[in-house]
Amino acid sequence: MGVIKIERRKQSFMERLYIPETVKGMFVTLRHLIHNLLNYKDLPIINYPEVKRVYSERFRGRHILTSREDGTTRCVACYMCSTACPAECITIEAGEDDRTREKFPTRYEIDLLRCVYCGYCVDACPEDAIYMTRDYELAIDTRARSVVGLRDLVVPPNMPTEPMGWRPYYGEIRKEGTAGGTGRGQEIRAAAFGDEAAPNPELYKGEARPKSEADSRQGA
Amino acid sequence: MSTPTRFSSMPYTGPAPTNRKPFVPAGLEAIDKRCDEIQAKIAAPYVTAVPGQDLPTFVVEREKIVDVLRKLKEDTELRFELPIDLFGVDYPRRPEGRFDVVYQLYSIKNNDRVRLVVHTDEDKPVPSSLPVFQGFDWFEREAFDMYGIRFDGHYNLRRILTHEMFQGHALRKDYDPAQRWLLTEKDVAKIVPVVEHHPEDSDFEQVTLNLGPSHPATHGTLRIVVTLDGEKIIGADTEIGYLHRCFEKMAETHTYQQVIPFTDRLNYCSAIINNVGYSLAVEKLLGIEAPPRAQYIRLVLSEFMRIADHLVCIATNVLDMGALTNFWYLYQPREEIYQLVEACCGARLLPTYTRIGGLSVDAPANFLDMAKALVKKLPSHINDAEKLLLRNRIFLERVDGIGAITRESAINHGYTGPCLRATGVPYDVRKAKPYIGYDTYDFDIPVAEGGDTLARTLVRLEEMRQSLRILHQAIERGLPAGPVIVDDPYVALPPKEKVYNEMESLIYHFKLIMHGIQPPVGETYFAVEGGNGELGYHIVSDGSKNPYRVRVRPPCFAVYQAFRKMIVGQTIADAIATLGSLNIIAGELDR
Repeated sequence: MGVIKIERRKQSFMERLYIPETVKGMFVTLRHLIHNLLNYKDLPIINYPEVKRVYSERFRGRHILTSREDGTTRCVACYMCSTACPAECITIEAGEDDRTREKFPTRYEIDLLRCVYCGYCVDACPEDAIYMTRDYELAIDTRARSVVGLRDLVVPPNMPTEPMGWRPYYGEIRKEGTAGGTGRGQEIRAAAFGDEAAPNPELYKGEARPKSEADSRQGA
Repeated sequence: MSTPTRFSSMPYTGPAPTNRKPFVPAGLEAIDKRCDEIQAKIAAPYVTAVPGQDLPTFVVEREKIVDVLRKLKEDTELRFELPIDLFGVDYPRRPEGRFDVVYQLYSIKNNDRVRLVVHTDEDKPVPSSLPVFQGFDWFEREAFDMYGIRFDGHYNLRRILTHEMFQGHALRKDYDPAQRWLLTEKDVAKIVPVVEHHPEDSDFEQVTLNLGPSHPATHGTLRIVVTLDGEKIIGADTEIGYLHRCFEKMAETHTYQQVIPFTDRLNYCSAIINNVGYSLAVEKLLGIEAPPRAQYIRLVLSEFMRIADHLVCIATNVLDMGALTNFWYLYQPREEIYQLVEACCGARLLPTYTRIGGLSVDAPANFLDMAKALVKKLPSHINDAEKLLLRNRIFLERVDGIGAITRESAINHGYTGPCLRATGVPYDVRKAKPYIGYDTYDFDIPVAEGGDTLARTLVRLEEMRQSLRILHQAIERGLPAGPVIVDDPYVALPPKEKVYNEMESLIYHFKLIMHGIQPPVGETYFAVEGGNGELGYHIVSDGSKNPYRVRVRPPCFAVYQAFRKMIVGQTIADAIATLGSLNIIAGELDR
């Protein structure tokens, strides 16, 4: 078994004099200063509100609920995420519609102050419905605003992929059946968004989302 | 307004399946043989061996426990001199007594462990083991606090993790966790330190000073009360529990998988090591082993986390002594280590990276390149800090001989990790009981003499170099191919592609989320080398989806209980320097 015994160095005379070693120490800090001045671009400092840190594509930030191509939410209110949540921050109430699909959430709330951002809800989701984004600016002014509901969480179909964070899989996977989302997506989107151009960032916030069938059923 | 539906608004709460199989530890024959040997050595009628456990285990009669502890400690061949852990377990309505008090001892000489169990009840006090092991001081107080187990002869048996106005004992199975207890300012404990030797001819009057719990120099919510004679400390006492988050109670009400995010918050400076330790403990109970690729990534990130932990410890320690420059030089590489962790699992401080049976997700494609760049960068930062510190007369004079603890005292107090190695004892769990392949790497255990603040700093500096050595070897070997989580549908979630497309996988997915992992019935202990000592998890399983008991053996807890004795005779400024070098993390201390 390898054991290293660390011996204490005796202070030499020069070290005991203190001043010469102080000057030597200054050289270390001076070297850092000059290095930083010459490599200003590589400084580890981020000028925060103007420049934002880019986190990895696995960053666990604020949640979103994705939609199928026909504009309905992918969530089927199966309670898997709220069961898997160690912080018990997800509240779901299920509704049902025989025409389009069997079950959908009439209430889906996440308490962002309770949430520990572990990503277990994303891992638990069997419908590819809940993702996490790279959004980490979660400051709020009242406690009540920490609870976000369907209106804040659901994003329209074909949402921008750029701010995506933790998600159930990376890269392309083969999807069939309901999870992939088939249906009348193209026409609905064309009607709602006008054209195929890059999605409007306003839509992403969930405020200006076009009213879908699910919304009308909810009765606000 | 939601319309009433056919579907219930409550999730499924039917009877959950339970595992009835008993836990059979690996290498059972050797353990039982060792059990018989120790039994023969003690040779007492009041000690009964319990076969089939993962450590040699004995049930000891309540009145005789101190005798047995003394015999185990003082026997020249056994030498169980390091007190590892003492905790309670509650089994209501059990005929032989409601509580188990579990003792665990370690023998440095033989690299061997023993577990002693005492059955007791609410009204039957257990003799205090303090005359033999000083290190069980706070552990006994914790068992009293959490279970109401009384220890006869303990000098200060009061609550430690909960506050003075707390009613009941939180970890008892019949305690209702929904209760709230209010502590107002006037109820806060008035602590008066015991002054043993006060010089009669002192020119100063005694002053009692309260430090903390929110003081910038304590780096955490620690409260220290000192009695001063001039500037000299003549008596000190400490109070903890300000960051108690009921980790152990929470673990009992959550599934095995859900406990992993809670372990992040133990030692938050090296959270991945906590994740790894817990996952390995449950894997041991399940009798499975994570694939080599997962083990490799666990090892690499554990070593990076150990470096980060030591960087933070040294940086904040010298910051308290006024050396701000080092703080910047040491915090920058820590930040870069966190970037690597974030690239792997999406969070810097609280990673929740491991899962039982492996990892949540494979490491990114550029994992090795990032690790290589980091390993190349780190030594210059460490060297700069070392140059600025170890040739600096002011620093040396502030740490040399300050806050010293002798080798015997450190062992008796249950010290582990860098603080124990600073007294010259080469005990490291990575060498003593290698896990995740540490035995295949070539590294040394640094030890120093003296047990003072300087020795602890020297050990930490050298340990970072040893960790870098491990990382160099690991990067040379490269990432093993293969999956990162076991292929067992009862432990690991199936891949998403299968969940979306196959009925069978969807059922396994559903079962695992709703009914959790159900390990066999039994108990196990698994320890890893954490940032500041032996971090052990003792898990008791009753076969259901929730752990029956999760016990964390926090290294800080044992280290910090000796602090009040270490600082007597020194000045306040030295006490701060000593506290910094012990690396007390409140998250782990209070759990």
